[in-house]
Amino acid sequence: MTHYQMGNPGSYPYLLALWLLPLVGAIVAWAFGPQLKRLAGPLCSALLGASFVATLLSWHDATQSVATGAANLVGAHQALVSWIPGFNFGLLLDPLSLLWTCIITGVGFLIHVYSIGYMEGDNAFARFFAYLNFFVFAMLTLVLSDNFVGLLVGWGLVGLASYFLIGFWFYKPSAVAAARKAFVINVAGDVGIMFAIFMIVASVHSISYGDVFGSVGSLSTPWLLAICICLFIGAAAKSAQVPLHTWLPDAMEGPTPVSALIHAATMVTAGVYLVARCAPLWSQSPDAQLLVGSIGGVTALAGAILGCVQWDIKRILAYSTMSQIGYMIMGVGVGAYEGGVAHFFTHAFFKAQLFLGSGIIIHALANEQDVRRMGGLVKKLPFAFVAMLVGVLAICGIPGFSGSFSKDAVIYGTLQHGHPVLYAVGILTAGITAYYMFRLLFVTFLGAYRGEVDPSDLGIRHPELAGTHTAHDDHGHDAHHAPAWLMNVPVGILIVPSILAGWLLFGGENSPWAHFFAQQFPQATLATPAVSEMTTTLIVLACVAIGIAIAWRRYATRDAQDTAVERLRTESVKMPAILANAFYFDAALDLVFVRSSQLLGTLFGRLIDPQVIDGAVRETAFSAQWLGTFVRSFQTGLVRAYAFILVLGVACFLVYYAVTAGGLH
Amino acid sequence: MLPMSVPLLDYVALSSVIFFIGVAGVLIRRNPLIVLMSIELMFNAANLLFMAFSRAWAHNAGHIFAFLVITVAAAEAAIGLAIVVTVFRTARHVDVDDVALMKG
Amino acid sequence: MLVLSLVLVPIVVGLALLVVRNENPTMSRTIGALVALYTLVAAVASHGSEWSYRWLSRPFEASFHFGDTAISYWLVLLLAICTLCAILATNVPRQRAFIAQMLLLEGAMLGLFLARDLLLFALFWDLMLLPVFFTLLGWGEHVATAWRYFIYNFAGGLCLLLATAAFGMLFGSTDVIGRSDVHLVGAWVPWIFWGFAIAFLVKTPVWPLHTWMPLTYSDTPSPMVAVVSAVQSKGGLYGLIAIGMAFMPDYLKAYAGIFVVLGVISLLYGAFVAVTQNDAKRVVAYSSLSHLGLIVIALASFNATALQGAVIYIVAHGLFSAALFLILGFVESREETRSLVRLGGLGAANPRLAGALCIAALAALGLPGLAGFVGELVILTGIFQAGFTIPAILALIPIVLASAYMLRLFQGIMNGPEVPDLPVRRDLGWLEGLALAPLVLALVVLGVNPHALTTFDASAYNAVASTLQGGTR
Repeated sequence: MTHYQMGNPGSYPYLLALWLLPLVGAIVAWAFGPQLKRLAGPLCSALLGASFVATLLSWHDATQSVATGAANLVGAHQALVSWIPGFNFGLLLDPLSLLWTCIITGVGFLIHVYSIGYMEGDNAFARFFAYLNFFVFAMLTLVLSDNFVGLLVGWGLVGLASYFLIGFWFYKPSAVAAARKAFVINVAGDVGIMFAIFMIVASVHSISYGDVFGSVGSLSTPWLLAICICLFIGAAAKSAQVPLHTWLPDAMEGPTPVSALIHAATMVTAGVYLVARCAPLWSQSPDAQLLVGSIGGVTALAGAILGCVQWDIKRILAYSTMSQIGYMIMGVGVGAYEGGVAHFFTHAFFKAQLFLGSGIIIHALANEQDVRRMGGLVKKLPFAFVAMLVGVLAICGIPGFSGSFSKDAVIYGTLQHGHPVLYAVGILTAGITAYYMFRLLFVTFLGAYRGEVDPSDLGIRHPELAGTHTAHDDHGHDAHHAPAWLMNVPVGILIVPSILAGWLLFGGENSPWAHFFAQQFPQATLATPAVSEMTTTLIVLACVAIGIAIAWRRYATRDAQDTAVERLRTESVKMPAILANAFYFDAALDLVFVRSSQLLGTLFGRLIDPQVIDGAVRETAFSAQWLGTFVRSFQTGLVRAYAFILVLGVACFLVYYAVTAGGLH
Repeated sequence: MLPMSVPLLDYVALSSVIFFIGVAGVLIRRNPLIVLMSIELMFNAANLLFMAFSRAWAHNAGHIFAFLVITVAAAEAAIGLAIVVTVFRTARHVDVDDVALMKG
Repeated sequence: MLVLSLVLVPIVVGLALLVVRNENPTMSRTIGALVALYTLVAAVASHGSEWSYRWLSRPFEASFHFGDTAISYWLVLLLAICTLCAILATNVPRQRAFIAQMLLLEGAMLGLFLARDLLLFALFWDLMLLPVFFTLLGWGEHVATAWRYFIYNFAGGLCLLLATAAFGMLFGSTDVIGRSDVHLVGAWVPWIFWGFAIAFLVKTPVWPLHTWMPLTYSDTPSPMVAVVSAVQSKGGLYGLIAIGMAFMPDYLKAYAGIFVVLGVISLLYGAFVAVTQNDAKRVVAYSSLSHLGLIVIALASFNATALQGAVIYIVAHGLFSAALFLILGFVESREETRSLVRLGGLGAANPRLAGALCIAALAALGLPGLAGFVGELVILTGIFQAGFTIPAILALIPIVLASAYMLRLFQGIMNGPEVPDLPVRRDLGWLEGLALAPLVLALVVLGVNPHALTTFDASAYNAVASTLQGGTR
């Protein structure tokens, strides 16, 4: 059995620094926000930049491999405090957490810089950066923890940061509701992980990854499956997997940089991290692999289908995020860890770019988010068009762009690990992805600008509910409609990895990627599938081409551009109810959990408490009262009656003693 | 035991008769003065028994109790008469059954 | 002597305050705060010392015996801190008399937690009802609530007194709290056990003996209810540990099923009701029912880990429920309503108040990194280890519900659009901030590093730990 001693113990100041710097930023920006004013943004960004530098400086520590006896210690382990007896905390930086740390701090830094421009003029500028830095700290806690409880702490804290940032504009009731929904669903996930921890502690008597993974062999199959399922409940809630995904589209109520950082690049991929981190557990439990892989596949497909019928630009991206995370989960679920993790890596770049690009559009159009009211923006916002185009090409898996490498790795991985159905789902989803992403591109950028068209002509029934904020002005950007360089530069930088990041996977077994993770994941012996990798790529490409062609036909031909208003109206009005209601997941969750809880609460609070329990108490009191009334009837006030009763009593005694002879004998 | 000219049982019988006359008086009569007198009768029936048994068993406790009872009876009569007078002052007539203020 | 002064000083000053004629509210608040501060300092200074004077020799031995035990030390500190914060936050009509009641309450409860004699314990048990009763009569909204509080708790106190008397007759002495060599046997012990248990379960409270609690908690002025919910309710749990578990472990074990069932019902019931309450204070009241149900399960599970978690959670719950009630008091004094439907949008104008409520609510819903989470996690781990699988699973549901009702509470008051006709007043003042700061700070510190609360496990906890036969491993 493999022994999973994790990390080379030692003292790693860079590791501590990269972990704690964002916390410092959060506390300073929170406590001294009113004093810092505009400085809060640059300060927090600078601290996060320093954190990214520290990450790069600890690259060597993270990838070191020290052979001690039988074990091979990969990465760096920094012991922290003993939390309570038996629960020891520490930080672990190995290739897997290094990858996540790079994305969190690196992409996070770019998004911070972007936010300085995007949030300019918001009343709570400093508070925003305090939350963002707090999120980064929480996310780093999550990925750097060397044990399950630390993971859970990070898991809860990122949920809190997400709650704060979704509900950042807390005077909007929709934002408040979305924030609460996201938090409660994520707590349901936390509870799953919590229960997994109970089972782990009960069987392994330890919470550290090393001890747990080292004793996988001693766990019975059902027990292991139960642990995996409970862990995956947490992963599903955080990573928006069916059926716990409903919070993610609503979470788009938050500012766009938040959507880019938290709800696309980093936090929502925590589930992927969890499955990849617990690879030793999953590898021993084929049932859990099948379950997780299937849910990933279902999510990928469902997200893609729902992405086709959204009109809010951020909700389209949200469903595409859900779908892409479905891919990742499918990959790490079936055991293709490197592929799944690679898709996280590339997705972080191109999805952050898509969101930031859409943020430029939203910012320029005074918070308009409905694509029906856009159109023709290619001339108005050429830079945004380029940014979005690169992102779309990358997500669709056009060869040469980053997405193609990682997506193909996932799709082919499912076949290699013996899941042909998931393989088919992956290919189908790739086609749908191409359709809705190009639909987004065409509707937004081609044709004529529709911002002046009456919303009802476009089939927008409730402008205020459709993400259309015409009169809404959260920040005073009227002065500069063209995005500031602060917003363009991060997007421009992101274009580079969006195109190139995938090339790290080039070369199969000998790629830099494979070398990087050589000692990270358990290796399974794979059968050679009947379909080769090259053929898979071609099939995927064919599907993508079909998807693009359909999108072209519907939205981009000369004819379609001319009749765009009428087409969009028809499409909005005639949308099938099941799609408009997102397969009724929201309604079902509401009915099963929210309504039933409220019903029980009302039943207990209005009926059981005042009527049954207090009723019983009242009855006791009443029976005492009745007894009193009864006894009172003997109190006639007539002295002679009392005397008579007294005599009667004495007579009774006399009779009794006469009959029993008074005990004289 | 000292010799007794009258048998003990006779004292008991006499005492019982007097006691039950008293009981009947309390139960039947509505004039408080008669009720008080009937109570005195019962006290004295008890006193008679005390004395008889005291003599029969040659034990002083009976005497002591008899004196105690006489004292209590005197106090009782005093309080009883005072109550009767008070009631009479307010109601202008006295009847045991009319004094029912303590009805529950 | 210091430990005796801990009990006497608040009572004497409280009685004196009742008599004097100076109605200056600041003066009485200052005096009250100074006394509370004194008890805090003296509690730390007198840690481990005892004071004893013989009270009865017959029919059983009893003493005026004061001194803290390993567990009650934390409760005494919690009480002193909560009272200090509550007095600082007090701003009610007839301030002098109210502060006097607060001090009397503190003195009585200090007597309860410091009592090393069961008879003394029973005496202070009944004494600590009176200040709350009088406060409910004088400052409460309904007289019936006062009577309900008193009758429920006094009935419990009567059971306690009878059980104490029986204990004394059986064992020959009631000077036993904190001793580890007392084990009661005999046919009467189940009766004695239930006498104690009923008193403790009413006080905690546990379903179905809880219906006095929501009314009391919503009617009592916030500073006092902060102390009552934070500390007085712990009297029952403390009793279960220091008396039930220490002297009658076999019976607690034998009846563990009943306690676990009642605990689970309280846990679920309180959480479900809290989701639907409109009165902000009742939300917290029912959440208390839920949270304390968890501790009852922990005690009944007889597991060292769960017990450790229970002590952490007792302190954590004290801190966050005191903070919640104080903050709701501030909100009520500003907006003159507690209705979640009516309130809303206060966060924009009152950022500090919103921040404080946020931290308290997050601690209550068990956010990792704050004190409540530590207690919950450790308790549930222990319960699961002890083999109570179903209760552990059921106990997870209220965690999700807690996030729902606590966020509803927070958002209902602080978030959303500003309600135009609410009287918007100033943000948290410095005195109010000072009152909340220790509680909030302690929640964060204990959440990040709960070590302080667990280090006593090895050294001073032995009295109870020794009775934990068949613990974890």
